Amino acid sequence: MTAVLKPTLARCLWVAPAFAALAILITVAARSIFGMTPVLQESTLLTVAYIAGGIGFIVGIGGFDYWFTWMKGGELDPNDHSQHGARSWGDYFKFNTDHKVIGIQYIVFTFIMFLVGGMFAEVFRSELARPGQQVLTDQQYSGLISQHGVIMIFVFMVPVFAGIGNYVIPLMIGAADMAFPRLNALSFWLLPVAAFTLLSSFMFGSFDGGWTGYPTLSEQSGYGMTLYQLGIQLAGASSIATAVNFLVTIITMRAPGMTLFRMPLLVWANLATSALVVAATPFIAGAQFMAMFDREMGTHFFTVAGGGDTLVYQHIFWFYSHPAVYIMILPGFGIISEVIATHARKPVFGYRAVAFSSAGIAILGFAVWAHHMFASGMEPWLRVPIMLSTLLIAIPTGIKIFSWLGTMWGGVLRMTTANLFAIGFIFTFVIGGLSGVMLAVVPFDVSITNSYFIVAHFHYVLFGGSIMTIYAGFYHWFPKVTGRMYNEVVGRWHFWITFVAMNITFFPMHYQGLVGMPRRVADYAPEFAWSNMVISLAAFVLGASTLIFVYNMIHSARHGKKAGANPWGGLTLEWLLSSPPPIFNFPATPRVIGGPYRYGEEGAKHAIVPEVEPATVETTV
Amino acid sequence: MSAATDHSAPQIQPYRTGLRPEILGLIIFLVSEAALFGAFFMYYANLRVLNGIVWPGEFDIPAEATSINTLILVLSSFTCEFALLSLYKRKNGAVFAWLLATFILGAIFLGLQVEEYRIVGFTPQDEATGAIFFTLTGLHGVHVFIGLVLLLLGMIRALAGRWSPERHSGLLAISIYWHFVDIVWVLLFTVVYCLPSS
Ligand code: HEM
Ligand SMILES: [Cu+2]
Repeated sequence: MTAVLKPTLARCLWVAPAFAALAILITVAARSIFGMTPVLQESTLLTVAYIAGGIGFIVGIGGFDYWFTWMKGGELDPNDHSQHGARSWGDYFKFNTDHKVIGIQYIVFTFIMFLVGGMFAEVFRSELARPGQQVLTDQQYSGLISQHGVIMIFVFMVPVFAGIGNYVIPLMIGAADMAFPRLNALSFWLLPVAAFTLLSSFMFGSFDGGWTGYPTLSEQSGYGMTLYQLGIQLAGASSIATAVNFLVTIITMRAPGMTLFRMPLLVWANLATSALVVAATPFIAGAQFMAMFDREMGTHFFTVAGGGDTLVYQHIFWFYSHPAVYIMILPGFGIISEVIATHARKPVFGYRAVAFSSAGIAILGFAVWAHHMFASGMEPWLRVPIMLSTLLIAIPTGIKIFSWLGTMWGGVLRMTTANLFAIGFIFTFVIGGLSGVMLAVVPFDVSITNSYFIVAHFHYVLFGGSIMTIYAGFYHWFPKVTGRMYNEVVGRWHFWITFVAMNITFFPMHYQGLVGMPRRVADYAPEFAWSNMVISLAAFVLGASTLIFVYNMIHSARHGKKAGANPWGGLTLEWLLSSPPPIFNFPATPRVIGGPYRYGEEGAKHAIVPEVEPATVETTV
Repeated sequence: MSAATDHSAPQIQPYRTGLRPEILGLIIFLVSEAALFGAFFMYYANLRVLNGIVWPGEFDIPAEATSINTLILVLSSFTCEFALLSLYKRKNGAVFAWLLATFILGAIFLGLQVEEYRIVGFTPQDEATGAIFFTLTGLHGVHVFIGLVLLLLGMIRALAGRWSPERHSGLLAISIYWHFVDIVWVLLFTVVYCLPSS
């Protein structure tokens, strides 16, 4: 009985509907008082119910309990750790303030969303396997590809990096937790709300505007489009809150001795990413607000008949969404630097250049948005400057690739699964980068825009790029998180099947696009039959390969052999702790005494943790 | 996956105490707030500069009356600052009084804005100009409202005697937020109300 009153999922089950019902009542009352007709406007009532229900869910899980105390003028104990740490399985389903617990919550939840988004892809790939339409109607097809894109981007790719960062960053900088543990938990619990909002739109026929939701289509679609706009707002709020948290944590909570240039590169990458999130995400929020007002309140932001402007949606949308592609890859770059340095046993080649290139990408990333609009009829004078800035942004990206190659050069490579994914990543990401540079060239882009070439490009950077880095990171830190080793043989199978199937799935799309197969259409000309069949078969293999990974993770977490504190011989701080780390991380304040990648130096140390090992003579980098 | 050892004396505190985390966090958050306003200003600029429409179209925006309202809001920034100064001098009664003054000024501002909505003679549904006018001022109004709630909470805590020069970051945060809302308004007033159409 008490479970429905304490902050638990059980409490959410009644608080969220109660909030939704209350909001509907208030709205109905207000509408009848102010004489608005019809009083029972369905879409308005649904929207307020969704918003209030979402807030109710967070209240139910206990997200605001602490702040309620503050608001009442109550006394707060800054050292209250009653919600910190997982002592049993149940703690993972609660509002928990421990960054390690939140990290695992994030990773597991977003990975489930990855499987859901992947399922959608398998369904529409079976439609695409043969010409003609067998499985899906046009409407269902559009709904599925849109859900696929939105789920993958907003509730998998962006937050999964927040999850990895959450687990690893405080450990890497020698902190006991994130700067704002409760805000951290709050950002996580916003995600299920966002996912529910997006997925439940299937009840209203999903949304069909692609992941970009352009007007005028978005103004005419069914109610699902409003849920798309709402869901993105929620996911965006979650990622802004996390980014604020990361920035403050990295700026104020580094252990003594950890100067900026002694920070591991993953920390640098997260610093740049978080800055991007903070400055860019509000733009997509703004765009969705306006589009939603147009739909739900009858304003004319984007309707030309009402004096509005359709194109400006695209400007505002891409002003976020181009930086967003870096939000989805920069942390991955950081992971690759960690993995390659550790497994090649060499210092990172050009450490400072890599750190600065992250910052450079973050700044330049704001100056290239309109390369997504070359074919949109935008102001012609914008084309050439944007083309040049887009070509320019390939330079800091290239610097990183040279750094990884230089780091591996002459190193004794340990071909663990983590390292295999890192090396595979470099290969596929370069292909994606090259097609990106091709797309930056205006005449080329205009001729193949909206074709499968675009689909090939962004899957090479997102699957071949981001997802490969995520797998590399999962394998690399798996022993730290669970205290056990994953199965290396199964891991290798996973890598090779994924890598081969991925290339067979996405490479032919370049060709299809060049020959003129348009994207976002359920049917195609008969001459594409053969290539589409190959792609669909490879896509099924690709999907199945994920199950190998899931099996390996679950089985090894329970039965793998014990990992010990430092199976890879890493120098960064997280490897100095037991696996899994103690609930409050460091037994005493660690001291950082040198750079993070001093591999190959005899007896070199990055940091020491008193009580874990005796202090040694200090050296400088 | 339970943890191996439990350390009973945790310190979840920053090592670099020169920067107060909550204030730094607030400032970063305000950057993101500024970007949110930026999205709407971007729309507005697009409308006026690239699409070259005559602002505010056939409508009339009462710039003179609103300039008085602007002064009221600017004044409230000062009263808010006085609350903080009184706190440093440990005058708890004055803290409450200045917060109350700020609250009243803010409430007058908000009331006059709502009154303006009633008398301008167009609605958010009238043309894109109406939409962006109401959205920009409305978004700001929501921020003023949140500020008023925060000021109210600040007063409750002042009555409960929870503020002191040693524990003042909550009040500092409220005042920084209030100044931010004020600055955004001055910008908004200049661009939306005063910038003439040529
Ligand atoms: C060398 C760096 C890159 C360059 C020069 C580049 C260039 C481009 C260009 C010009 C387009 C627009 C094509 C069109 O719509 O006509 C595009 C699309 C896209 N890019 Fe990239 N890109 C790069 C890296 C990335 C990365 C790292 C990611 C993500 C991790 C990414 C994700 C995407 C996505 C998702 C789209 C498609 C958006 C849509 O739905 O229209 N790109 N890229
Ligand atoms: Cu882009």
